[in-house]
Amino acid sequence: MKEFIIFLPLAALYLAFKSTLFASVPMPDLPLIIVFYSAYRKTSIEGVILAFILGYMDDVMSGGVIGASSFSLIIVYMAVRLIASKVHFSTVATRAGGAAAAALLKGIMIGMVLRSVGIHISFIGSVLLIAITTGASAPAFITLLTRLVNLVTPAAFKDGAH
Amino acid sequence: MPITERNISSFFKRHQVVIVSALLALYSLHLSLTYKKEVPRGAVVYEAVSFVITPIQRAAIAAQKAVKGLWTDYVFLVGTADENTLLKSRILSLENENMRLNDEVLLGRRLKSTLEFMDDVGFNSTAARLTGVTSTPWTRTVTINKGASSGLGKDMAVISASGAVGRIIETASNASTVLLLTDARSDIDVYVERTRIKAVIEGSGEDSLILKYIRIDDDVALGDVVITSGLTGIFPRGVAIGEVVRIEKSRDNFFKYIEVKPKVQIKTLEEVIVVTD
Repeated sequence: MKEFIIFLPLAALYLAFKSTLFASVPMPDLPLIIVFYSAYRKTSIEGVILAFILGYMDDVMSGGVIGASSFSLIIVYMAVRLIASKVHFSTVATRAGGAAAAALLKGIMIGMVLRSVGIHISFIGSVLLIAITTGASAPAFITLLTRLVNLVTPAAFKDGAH
Repeated sequence: MPITERNISSFFKRHQVVIVSALLALYSLHLSLTYKKEVPRGAVVYEAVSFVITPIQRAAIAAQKAVKGLWTDYVFLVGTADENTLLKSRILSLENENMRLNDEVLLGRRLKSTLEFMDDVGFNSTAARLTGVTSTPWTRTVTINKGASSGLGKDMAVISASGAVGRIIETASNASTVLLLTDARSDIDVYVERTRIKAVIEGSGEDSLILKYIRIDDDVALGDVVITSGLTGIFPRGVAIGEVVRIEKSRDNFFKYIEVKPKVQIKTLEEVIVVTD
């Protein structure tokens, strides 16, 4: 639960900067990296709820179709959880590749949701760009997230994040 | 405890994450699939999140302007300091003064055209400033610094001196989200100004607009201006939307595929007018 204290303000800061200072720059998808990080570390209800809240926040603040991002982030959470039982996301390459694949999955999921409500737009190019920037920056962000989580987690309860 | 109850209880405990995920995923899907229904959604979350984010957005914009000023006023001129310190400080002070005056002149011009436009439209309106721009592959919106406390509400038209910007889709007390014309969810009844042909303009999800339902034999040419028809009740009649930049035959051989370049350039937009009538 303490991770919420870090992740939610971090996501709020990200949303604020994304819409102002970095509005014209392809930004890595930080909420997605947070969900990816939470998912591969451990299975928890908090992780799923976090994915839902981050997606909901993103949809509400960006004026998107509410539910589209939260749905896709929950699917990403479950997919990463499934893969994490076979792949250890402990190296830079696996983290970068995993986050990029998660960003693609999120884009595909949102595309499917939008299609089912009658919004037909093709954004595969933009999704690829986001996947590349997200994958490239994910290892650095994950290191930062691990440090932040360690700050609020008492040593006796640390779960040995990879 | 009977065996069946114990089994059910242990099943839920073992699969609680999957069950919660499935429930939340279904709920999210329900929210998205019914988004067109006129039920207020996310109002409380929007109010709470915008309460936190709007001040950060304002601070970020102020910081951006300050850093830009620092760069153009100081860092960029460091090289000349070696030549003549006195001259440099004089130049710096003149540059500062010039920049400030230029900024004032530009602001004055923008405000003048905004005020003239507000007089022209003849509707009750409120001026607002942009505080944020969201441009994801699936969403195109901007945030403005006025909300319900200034009398703004859902589906109010947002325009600028150059033309239509979009419509409000969400309001908090002191902020509102505006769905831009270029968002794929945006559609407006319009006329082609020259020939008065009625059509619908939709956002392409990118930086352009698509003019729909123009038949092959309808008279539309490159450079034609598209204006609002005023029929949907959101936009006043006669507000400029954009200019036709591409005409092609569509696959069905019945309608034309027409691309329109919006009059309003969001990248350079700072002030907007919200029609509150």
